[in-house]
Amino acid sequence: MMIYLSTVIVLVSVAALVGLGLNFQWGVAGLVNFGVVGFVALGAYTAALSVSHVGWLSAMVLAAAVSAAASTILAFLSIRLADDYLAIVTIGFGEVINILLLNEDWLTGGALGIANIPRPLSSIIPAAQYDTILPLLAMLLVALTFAALETLVQSPLGRALRAVRDDPTVVSALGKPVLVLRIKAFAVGGAVMGIAGSLHAFYLTYIDPGQFTSIITAYAFMAVILGGRGSNLGLLIGACTIMSLIEATRFLKDTLSIVDGVQLAALRLGLVGLGIILLLLLRPQGLLAEPHKRIRDFFPDSEETH
Amino acid sequence: MTKSDWMLNRRQLVGMMGVSLAGLAVRPGFALGAGEIPIGMVLPFTGATGPYGPDMKKAADLVVKTINDASGVLGGRKLQLYIEDSETSATTSVTATRKLLDVNKVEVVGGFWGSPEALAAKPLILAASKVQMVSASADGITDGDNKGLVYRFQAKSSQWGPAGAKVMTSLNLKKVAILAQQNPFVVAMIEPFKQEMTKRGGTVVEVVMYNPNQASYRAEVEKAFGSEPDGVFCASLLTDFVAIAKEAYRGGFRSKIVALGTGADADGAFIKSVPNEVSEGIHHLQPGPPLESAAYKKFVKEMGAPDGTVFLFAGNTHDQICVTALAMEHAKSTEAAVWVKSIREVCNPPGENVDDIVRALEMVRAGKKINFVGAGATVDFNDRGDQLNRSFVHQVIRSGKNQIVEIVA
Repeated sequence: MMIYLSTVIVLVSVAALVGLGLNFQWGVAGLVNFGVVGFVALGAYTAALSVSHVGWLSAMVLAAAVSAAASTILAFLSIRLADDYLAIVTIGFGEVINILLLNEDWLTGGALGIANIPRPLSSIIPAAQYDTILPLLAMLLVALTFAALETLVQSPLGRALRAVRDDPTVVSALGKPVLVLRIKAFAVGGAVMGIAGSLHAFYLTYIDPGQFTSIITAYAFMAVILGGRGSNLGLLIGACTIMSLIEATRFLKDTLSIVDGVQLAALRLGLVGLGIILLLLLRPQGLLAEPHKRIRDFFPDSEETH
Repeated sequence: MTKSDWMLNRRQLVGMMGVSLAGLAVRPGFALGAGEIPIGMVLPFTGATGPYGPDMKKAADLVVKTINDASGVLGGRKLQLYIEDSETSATTSVTATRKLLDVNKVEVVGGFWGSPEALAAKPLILAASKVQMVSASADGITDGDNKGLVYRFQAKSSQWGPAGAKVMTSLNLKKVAILAQQNPFVVAMIEPFKQEMTKRGGTVVEVVMYNPNQASYRAEVEKAFGSEPDGVFCASLLTDFVAIAKEAYRGGFRSKIVALGTGADADGAFIKSVPNEVSEGIHHLQPGPPLESAAYKKFVKEMGAPDGTVFLFAGNTHDQICVTALAMEHAKSTEAAVWVKSIREVCNPPGENVDDIVRALEMVRAGKKINFVGAGATVDFNDRGDQLNRSFVHQVIRSGKNQIVEIVA
């Protein structure tokens, strides 16, 4: 049971990292990115291809860098696009990455993928303990990323980004460079997604284009919506909830005999969707709304009532 | 937001974290009776290959019931089969396999329709020293150091290619085009197909690869059929082949279609998915089950299918269960590393041919040397775990029915 839980922890961590990246881009800066999976895939392939040359830590950094670079380029391309149009461009980007990975087999192994990816520290850690170490590493990564992003969100940059999200015209009237801010948000989010991709590659030790389908994007959006847009803490809860729901429903068919495996397989993902619809109806702001600072937080004696 | 709100939120937060983890923390009570032997399978029920799963599950459930009703294995111990959905995804296949190994403590993880799912799960199963049985084709599955724990209940990709070329030339199609899906199973068969075609005096005029899950295949179909080759070798899976066949019919192309059974049969799913005019005259090939054996005929009846149905995948899961049971009985052990060594003892010649699992178990118990013949194949293996003597069945669709043309060795 413990090893299975460790698998779930790693997968939750990957989902949480992807979600944190998206939350920074969409939740905080208001940039819709439907190409999330493309950036995760870029990170995974960069890590897988470079790890045997540069070691795991550099591979992870490289994965973040490549994903961030791709994000920056995409942000530049989308210079005049906002909202729906940006969403369409990012969907296209995700598809392009997937098709490139599938067809450029000289580099990516094509449909056969890349197998036997070396894992971090596998030469020092005995195989028996690896299943405990990797989840710890994954959680550490999530914690570090969370701390870094939370610092950014609280910083002047974070405030400026939230302002860009709420009203870019006002921000630019105040003399802030809206485009640069957007590019920064996109790049930071992309880097986090790249790290998530590298963790995915290290955990599975085998990657192929089929693993990077739009369901990853969908889970990331679900986690952000569920947790509450803009709230990093909410996001962690959202990602945990979704992945736990998906995994926990596996056990239904072992204990329930009224539905057989085939029916349950179809029902399982439907149930997760139903849960999210219910949650949105009952708690549209997400589990944990973005913390808003009010005047009273700074001046407890202020007259304002909220 | 006031301070007291924050307190409330923190409490809510802890509660929510608790709820979200509770689903995992609660260890479900398994109804594993005394001495039951857990075995597992990862099968596709959802996603692109979802249509293949239900029959594979049904076949496995049926044979587990047969074995258990006839006093089980190792002195009355029953098999307990756990099946997980692969969702046609390598990532899900890993969590599903992990759950089977770690929670259900299975001795063997079988099923595995798709090559990526099998390749991703392989390292986990080998690390746990359990047995992996696959119904997938990519050569990579049985390559490398597998500690003798991986067995393939399916023809290798590189065997499909030459068989396709043989069917092409037997239909006297010399100038051919290839229209193939970009996936690990298909990619490995293209080169062997081309080589065999050249050897037989044919030429491949065009190779068109397409990506899975496309909305339309019109451009690809026009490119492959446009040069009016004698025949087009369609290496496809079910959902894309349904679209391709319709597109080729609509376009009025006359080139003969030779397809893989994974697309043009899929355990009978293709002919149900298109009108008869579309399927008329399509040839297809797939590794054949022993069609004439009594066990196969009985199997088809048990599956509730009409006589002569060629089950390509369902027979494989049936065989995986049978071979597991026989090897355990032969080795007198449920220890994976021990009974895996008995697989070739009960499956390969020499020995008395037997195709009924209950009788085979009795014979093994009586200490007789048997050569088990399954419902999916004759189940003989080489030392890498690949199946030997896989012959291919070449069929043609006439008036919405599959007719056997010949058996290609």
